[in-house]
Amino acid sequence: MDEYAAVIATLNHTWFGAELSPETQQRLARLGELQDFEADEVILREGDDAREMGILLSGRLALQTLVPERGPVTILSVEPGDIFGWSAVLADTKAQSTVVATQVSKALVIEGTTLRAALKEDHALAASLYPQVLKAVARRLRSTRLQLLDLFAG
Amino acid sequence: MITSPAQDQAAAASQCFLAREDLGALIDAVRDSGRRLVGPTVREGAIVYDEIQTAADLPVGWRDEQSAGHYRLERSTDDRVFGYTVGPTPWKRFTFPPNLTIARAHRTNTFGFDQPVPDAPPVAFLGVRACELAALAVQDRVFLGGQFTDEDYRARRSAAFIIAVQCTTSSSTCFCTSMGTGPEVHGGYDILLTEIDGGFVIQAGSTAGAAVVAKLPTRRPSHAETGAAVDNVEAVRTGMGEPLPMAGVGDRLKLQLDHPRWAQVAERCVECGNCTMACPTCFCTSVVERSDLDGKSCTTERQWDTCFDVGFAKVAGGDFRARPRDRYRQWLTHKFSTWWDQFGSSGCVGCGRCITWCPVRIDVREELSAIAPPVAPIARPVAVEPVAASPGSYSIARVASIRSETGDTATLTLTDLDPAFLAGRPGQFVMVALPAFPAVPISMSRFRANAIELTIRAVGPTSTALVNLHPGARVGLRGPLGTFWPMQEAYGRHAVVVAGGVGLPPLRGLVDALVANHDRFESVSLFYGSRTPEDQLYCDDLEAWSASKAIDVTVTVDRAGPDWKGRVGVVTTLFDMISWDCTKVTAFVVGPERMMQASVQGLLSKGVPGDRIHVSMERHMECGIGLCGHCQMGGRFVCKDGPVFRLNDLGAMFNREGI
Repeated sequence: MDEYAAVIATLNHTWFGAELSPETQQRLARLGELQDFEADEVILREGDDAREMGILLSGRLALQTLVPERGPVTILSVEPGDIFGWSAVLADTKAQSTVVATQVSKALVIEGTTLRAALKEDHALAASLYPQVLKAVARRLRSTRLQLLDLFAG
Repeated sequence: MITSPAQDQAAAASQCFLAREDLGALIDAVRDSGRRLVGPTVREGAIVYDEIQTAADLPVGWRDEQSAGHYRLERSTDDRVFGYTVGPTPWKRFTFPPNLTIARAHRTNTFGFDQPVPDAPPVAFLGVRACELAALAVQDRVFLGGQFTDEDYRARRSAAFIIAVQCTTSSSTCFCTSMGTGPEVHGGYDILLTEIDGGFVIQAGSTAGAAVVAKLPTRRPSHAETGAAVDNVEAVRTGMGEPLPMAGVGDRLKLQLDHPRWAQVAERCVECGNCTMACPTCFCTSVVERSDLDGKSCTTERQWDTCFDVGFAKVAGGDFRARPRDRYRQWLTHKFSTWWDQFGSSGCVGCGRCITWCPVRIDVREELSAIAPPVAPIARPVAVEPVAASPGSYSIARVASIRSETGDTATLTLTDLDPAFLAGRPGQFVMVALPAFPAVPISMSRFRANAIELTIRAVGPTSTALVNLHPGARVGLRGPLGTFWPMQEAYGRHAVVVAGGVGLPPLRGLVDALVANHDRFESVSLFYGSRTPEDQLYCDDLEAWSASKAIDVTVTVDRAGPDWKGRVGVVTTLFDMISWDCTKVTAFVVGPERMMQASVQGLLSKGVPGDRIHVSMERHMECGIGLCGHCQMGGRFVCKDGPVFRLNDLGAMFNREGI
């Protein structure tokens, strides 16, 4: 199995990738680059330009935000199949949180400019990918709302 | 006496006539039989029930005028003794006292809880109307009709000799004909009076009643007199007009839980609780601990309470019925709807007291007409037999050890137990008491060979006292109470346990059982979410369960510092991991109600059937056996019918605001 076939097979086992069309899976696999991260490696810093979007294939990442006097607080972990750096689908945006690998991890990373150009010219790719990105964002929104409620307090 | 149709029939043929001037003979005969006589008398501008010494104490020649928020006594033009309807006093005041000592506890030279023996000297109630007899029958079902009973009520009720009176007048607030309770009396009395010109048609309804009647200067009534008795009562029925359309009102109400009228009526309601105090069937109570200063002896008193009271449904995490509209809806839907589900009858008898004594003139008949609608009958889970079931009665257990779980949570291991506790089932709870502290419900979190474990979070005075006990201390226990997890329903399926925060203790015994029986299931999974890593309970258990390979354990926290390398995110994010055919999942869910709601939504959206999702509900509990009314949730008492419920059985009641 070549590297791309392995990426597609991994994507098919995730909630994010399984609902992408086969053509989209192949296109993303060829658009992106496989990257390995060491534990504790900082992948992206909050406030930096959002230059890349990644799909985590293995390992675990932490999305952290800095709270004065408390230091970095992990607000969500990214598990295999989920995306990080999704702001890169929009031009000229900043990263909303710092992304840190908490374990040795592997991700398919797609450069933002390349991704946006591909989405603009390939409507089938856009029609397949955008709903999944939206689903990922909505999932985080729901999760954040529940976290805001601080249900286990009191 | 307690209703006996056979006695009623046996006495039906023995009607006689008692002249009005001989009513004193009835009073004397009753009192001479050793009974205290309680009946109607005029006091402070109203006809109330109080001790009657002679016929002169009775309200002869008085009539009342009643409407919504209005009550006036005035002189009538005749000398009728019962020419009025019901006043502000319900008979429950004498069968179910407003204040009652239910336990005394001490820990001086000895440690224990003593339950007073019911003291109910013989008493006779004079002037009990048809609606009031119906109300006594309603409370008989509440207090004596179920698995758990109120023995003080039984004693007082059994000691009561009932002299009923058929109504020959009605008020504008009366609606007994709508509720099917009057004006005719059908059983439940020892003696029945129907007032006519010059006296009473009287008949006995029991052997004791016949013995009293035999001592009276009666004569055989004429046809005209018996006919007048029937006609007078019939005239009341006719005068009350068309009955309200009550058939199906319970179902109609259940469909209108979001009706805007709830908010409108709540704007008028001042939540004084008059309606519940005057109501002859309302039975909600609270307990108050009265302790000496060193806490070595105390008295537990039960007091009437009202579901209109702010805080009546409050738990450590908040108030389940925080808004006035929630509390009004609770009262009205209980009376006319969910009471049927619990006790097989309406909770309203149509006496109209709640209308007359409402200071802002809220009329339940108008509210019912404005609000309409139904849900299917409810299947009830079966609970196991508890010990020390009645409030105030406790079985003593010893604290063998205490283990701190988190900063505010500890696990107590209890030994020297009644064997019944060891036979409890995961999901059930016990009421735990210490002298001078109100009893609290605690889930049994683990069952050992000769011990049980209780995991307690210090959120109130009792739970704080419990987590600060030392080995060797003793506690009072009642239980095991409530329903349990139906683990067998998950055989051959994917068993999924979802726990949030301190929702894990009620599930811990289930997880133990799932692990022990893991080969009976397609798979076993635990999803556990807590606030922070420091709030995680049972860290050793989580590791041991994971190591057993019998269960997949996935934990997450809502937030964490940079040192935490595990998952971060609410527990519902873990459902993304589910890759099975979710129609074959049986789920067991416990946590804060909003977390359960999110979890249930997540499971349903994955395709888990609603009848395969089981939840454990939390409500304010005081008695633990369905007698105090605090934990009512729709047609169920969480303590008795729950705490474990099948999601579909809760229907619209699950996670509905204000229930």
